[in-house]
Amino acid sequence: MYIPDYFEFCCRVKIVAGHDGLEQIPSLLTAMGSSAPMILTDKGVRAAGLVDVVETALGGNLTIPTIEDDVPPDSDLNVVHRLADVYREKGCDAIIAVGGGSVLDTAKGINILVSEDSDNLMEFTGAGALKRPLRPLIAVPTTAGTGSEVTLVAVIADHANNRKMLFTSYFLLPDAAVVDPRMTLTLPPHITAATAMDAMAHSVESTVMMSKNPLSDAHAREAMTLISKHLVSVIKNPSDKDGRLALATAATMAGIAFSNAMVGMVHAIGHSVGSVCHVPHGTCMAILLPYGLEYNLHKAEDRIADLLLPLAGPEAVVSTPADKRAQAAIDWIREFNKELNQITSGRHATRFKDLKGHDGTPMVPKDKLPEIAATAMGDGAIFYNPEDMDYEDFLMVTEAAWEGVPLDPTRIKKG
Amino acid sequence: MEAFAEIKPGKRYLTRIYLGIMLWFVGRAVQAAAKVDKEVAKEFENMPDEYTFCLGAFPNGPYMIVGKDAIGRVRYKGGNPDKHDIHLEMGLKSLGNLFTMFTFRESTPVANARDRLFVCGDVPNACACVRVLDIVQVYLLPKPIAKLAIKRYPRWSFKRHTLDRALVLIRTLIGF
Repeated sequence: MYIPDYFEFCCRVKIVAGHDGLEQIPSLLTAMGSSAPMILTDKGVRAAGLVDVVETALGGNLTIPTIEDDVPPDSDLNVVHRLADVYREKGCDAIIAVGGGSVLDTAKGINILVSEDSDNLMEFTGAGALKRPLRPLIAVPTTAGTGSEVTLVAVIADHANNRKMLFTSYFLLPDAAVVDPRMTLTLPPHITAATAMDAMAHSVESTVMMSKNPLSDAHAREAMTLISKHLVSVIKNPSDKDGRLALATAATMAGIAFSNAMVGMVHAIGHSVGSVCHVPHGTCMAILLPYGLEYNLHKAEDRIADLLLPLAGPEAVVSTPADKRAQAAIDWIREFNKELNQITSGRHATRFKDLKGHDGTPMVPKDKLPEIAATAMGDGAIFYNPEDMDYEDFLMVTEAAWEGVPLDPTRIKKG
Repeated sequence: MEAFAEIKPGKRYLTRIYLGIMLWFVGRAVQAAAKVDKEVAKEFENMPDEYTFCLGAFPNGPYMIVGKDAIGRVRYKGGNPDKHDIHLEMGLKSLGNLFTMFTFRESTPVANARDRLFVCGDVPNACACVRVLDIVQVYLLPKPIAKLAIKRYPRWSFKRHTLDRALVLIRTLIGF
């Protein structure tokens, strides 16, 4: 086990997980001194009836001043400002964010504005701009993937300038995360696959990054075990409540892991693909994850080899020579992606080339790859990657992920 | 109540002097590299005019401040952050952390990974500043020491390793 000379670990989110987690929200709010929460969600979540499930679970014991569902799939700066005004007008004193990463990030953005009594979110971009606790925020994730319910990060898109802004602060951690499998029961198979691979990427990257530590590793390895054990069976049997709870718990654990050990090049490139081409984040993670491991193989072979046990189980470890385990772990992820592709009838893509928009046009045209590589150069996740990356490296990895071919090891620079 | 003598932390004068000299040298080297090295110049071109960043030890320094002036020239702006409008602050959490880094016992990426470094400001420009500092360290330090300070020692042209390095060192010393 790798123990750094010094490390820090923090997770101050109260986690309420289980088949009746939602019913605990009123008592959580009471303990926080709140009585008028805004429910924030998106139209898809609301149409799926999940807000109704939450309202039923609240049992009429709570006054909800407003339910806002106008949150786009990609959290948006203007939407954050508008909804902060609604929060103030309706006299809200807390937020219950019911949704995926975009809703939770939007909720964090709103919470910054209303807590700081500001009308300009740009004042708080970057790391360390927040200096005091924010108002109560309860996160109810509806996908088992992002881990936003336990992360200190919010990513909010500034569409006018075609960029994503990062906000980092311990004050962005929600006060409580309610992990209830009823919220993910209706997820379609390909979204279940993509979001779970997002959680997989969080856990895998956090165990390979320079800032890994024993506490983050413990969370990450258990998350990997849960995902590798339950994802396929949940896709085949979507009403498997215990499997759903396992995946939701894994996503939360992976979120705790990467909040403390951070992520690297897979996320740096994935954020850029999302920003430039609007590809869902989980899809980017699934495609890029094996490439991130291949690229870092010469710097982190032992760490990658250690992934084989939580991913493939003890029999795979015993039957694989020690010097082949790192490559075996990478191969296992590629094969897992292929299996997900098959059981989702091809909707879980394994390379960027195959992604198509609603109108059938390619989501990631090849001529966009240089722009993706250039955008990735400004992503902070690369700080934690074991190996350095320049523009050429980003482009090489993105091109390989577009074609769906393994990296050429002779093109990986070693210094 | 019995009076106790207040225990004050040591001033660590020698450490502060060493770090002050190192930061002064690195700050002037960034200014020099921005004139000699195309890659460094390009990184600064992408930053807004008057963009200023500082690197130092929290809470009492020493610091180095580097930034662009109103017409876009890169300038070493001294060691007092209170005199400048700082857009990006990169700070080690203690004088000891900065000393460990500047004695090359811990690289900048490792210091960051171990939560010894904090960054206040926008992330894309922070990435650019880190790339600039990496390049400057390659110019200033012999290869075995530079390899301790950065993640990957770059493959540069012979000209960049020799002529450009000489120019950066000369400009750093004379402040031009």
